[in-house]
Amino acid sequence: MPKPDPSQNCGSPDHNIHRRKFLQGLSAGAISSMSFAGLFGAPTFAEIANKKQKHCILLWLCGGPSQFETWDPKPGTTTGGPFKSIPTSVPGTHFSELLPKCASIADKLAIVRSMHTKAKEHTEGINLLQRGHAPRPPFTRPTMGSVLAQQLGQLDSKLPNFILLDPCPEGNEFKGFKAGNWAGWLGAEYSPVRVGGDYKIPNANRLDSISEDDHEAREALRKFFSKKYENDRKSSAAGSWNATFERVNGLMSCAHLFDLERIPQADRDRYGPGAFGQHALLARTLVEEGAPFVMVANGMPWDSHVFNHEIYQMVVPDLDNIIFQLTKDLEDRGMLEDTLVIAMGEFGRSPWINQARGRDHFPDAWSLAMAGGGVQGGALVGATDKYGAEVIEDPFNEENLFATIFSALDIDPHSEFEIDGFPTFHHVENKAAPISQILS
Amino acid sequence: MKSPSLKKAKEIKLPSHVLDLTFGPGKKLYAACLDGGIYEVSTSFKPLGDNFQEIVRHDNYASGINWSASQKTLISASYDGDLKWIDPKEKKESKTVKAHTFWSWQSRLSPDGRLIATTTGQYLCGGYKYEPAPETEPSVKVFDVATGELRHSFPHTPPVQSVAFSNDGKILAAGNLMGEVILWDLTKDGKEIARIETPDFTGWGIIKGHYYTGGVFDLHFAPDDQSLYLVGMGSTTDPAAGNGKQLWQKFTWKDGPKKEGAAADGEIGQGLMETLAFHPKGKFFLMAGRLFKGNWNAALFDHESGSRLHQKNIGFRISTSAFTPDGKRLFLGGGANQGRPSEKKKWGRIVIYDVSS
Repeated sequence: MPKPDPSQNCGSPDHNIHRRKFLQGLSAGAISSMSFAGLFGAPTFAEIANKKQKHCILLWLCGGPSQFETWDPKPGTTTGGPFKSIPTSVPGTHFSELLPKCASIADKLAIVRSMHTKAKEHTEGINLLQRGHAPRPPFTRPTMGSVLAQQLGQLDSKLPNFILLDPCPEGNEFKGFKAGNWAGWLGAEYSPVRVGGDYKIPNANRLDSISEDDHEAREALRKFFSKKYENDRKSSAAGSWNATFERVNGLMSCAHLFDLERIPQADRDRYGPGAFGQHALLARTLVEEGAPFVMVANGMPWDSHVFNHEIYQMVVPDLDNIIFQLTKDLEDRGMLEDTLVIAMGEFGRSPWINQARGRDHFPDAWSLAMAGGGVQGGALVGATDKYGAEVIEDPFNEENLFATIFSALDIDPHSEFEIDGFPTFHHVENKAAPISQILS
Repeated sequence: MKSPSLKKAKEIKLPSHVLDLTFGPGKKLYAACLDGGIYEVSTSFKPLGDNFQEIVRHDNYASGINWSASQKTLISASYDGDLKWIDPKEKKESKTVKAHTFWSWQSRLSPDGRLIATTTGQYLCGGYKYEPAPETEPSVKVFDVATGELRHSFPHTPPVQSVAFSNDGKILAAGNLMGEVILWDLTKDGKEIARIETPDFTGWGIIKGHYYTGGVFDLHFAPDDQSLYLVGMGSTTDPAAGNGKQLWQKFTWKDGPKKEGAAADGEIGQGLMETLAFHPKGKFFLMAGRLFKGNWNAALFDHESGSRLHQKNIGFRISTSAFTPDGKRLFLGGGANQGRPSEKKKWGRIVIYDVSS
């Protein structure tokens, strides 16, 4: 069977035009004197048109995963816990023994062991690591997914540019975050479409009683009146609603892509039976269909205040397999170099064990992993002390991280948001430098 | 019967959390600790500085320590999967047997000291809702103390966190994460004779994450071997909170599994209960563990009525307990918070209570 063309989605060739860069080009060049064909003759647009579509999959390990049981093991120390470390395919680099599959592909992973952030509680931590900056009321900074949806998204894409796969409907603080404003000043059209678990796409099929022609005619009429309403009242709210309706309308043609049952059983078996693995596999198939940003979450299972070792003996092997399968699949499909995979949470976990056999929140020194597009496989950056209590080499914060992610995806991290009537905001503030050691 | 009560007599600090303890020869006390150390502990009431001496070290958490008076040996167990035979006089190991490839969760000696049972099993994802995957090695093993040879292997669904011999040594019971307890008859080549299923001891996370926590953390046959007590934490939908009920349940099995008693709602708080010990006279038992909410984490219950007789807030998490053979004292082992490495804190605890009954 031919492999799907990752540059396509929903079958429409106009998706190959990078929306944001197209608009940037319009504002930058002397467009008015050019013909449409001439437009593509200009070097800027030729360059843009030839660029490959970038994708990003965020495995959101909400709750705060322990660095000790994953990327920064400290075996034989008083803080190390019961799991040992194992060598990896990169000489000198060791992971927790709970990550044997990732150890075998360490040369494809980039590990940061020196994240140092300040948010100690979930709500502020989730906001910080989802938005890349501390709050600045009354302005709401868009999340990473919303920015990437805008920057990497396709013109008039039927497939949502920001997909959140989250089979766990609850999740305390994460539940609260999910109910909030993801897209901030970018507007509702860059909010995620949430699917997974109990969240299905309902009523996505056209009724048999309505013909295709009738459906299209009705849609044209709706679009005309909606746009007229928006223009007559100069209403950004109406614009957002129209954008949302467009997205829902688009979902009708893509709903089948969210159906886990359509994925071959052999693939489903490889990703493991758990909800997180199944939705990570779904993320891979959506990226194959052209989705620029897919975030996979599963509640907050990493928040191990109780039974840290008892929980991590299960959730880490699950993650190990997911990262392994995802990386290998993307590589086999020739998509790894254009798809950035990130596995991280909002902070790490404490070196010391509490009375409930748990590890508590710990933003002082924590780890994350990336693979694929824009990052250098086998890179290991930063170090913590013997007990994992402090960063002793190359500390990085959320701004460095976001600068890295944007850079890896060919987005200028220090460029400005184009928002009328707002103070100047940059994609990453303070000219924070990316973690250059892991960029390829 | 006068209600029993507990009066604190002494507290001993150890380098790390105490997961198990046993009385050895000459009334000596031995502790298995989270740092992998097996310690001989002085219970002298004279202040002598450190009250402990490390005699053997495992490569991982030491989860069990048992004294076989008949075979004159200590046997320790660990998360490294090893059983170590320890000569208490020489204070060194005499033999190591690899029992499991994963942790030994709990180990117990038969009453005659001739057999040692140990349980294992890693919780791995086995289904969409994170049901435990089937075992990859036998989850329950019984070894001959004299020779170290494997005498029985029993299948179970991992992780299997608790094990107990009946007082006559004929029956072995083991409980797991899902609240499933299997009983085997050791006189009939280990034939399975009963299976108790009590999901009250497990919780599937709704609030924070979809997975199971809890399980049967300790179990104990009643003195007449007619019933079996299970200990753990009641079901919770927030596995990251550890806020299930403090729970014990009593089952009979001879005419099919039947729940005969349980901790009364009005007498319990919330928190994981990890240990149960019968007083030598058999009239009451202790249940202890971690306090999440309520006013006690160690309480004495009447064997016959099940009612609570006495309770204490010990002030730290209890993982193990033992009455002295004369019933006059109760030893509780556990630990406080670990603390930062720079504090070099001794966070393991053994606290001794005088028992009046």
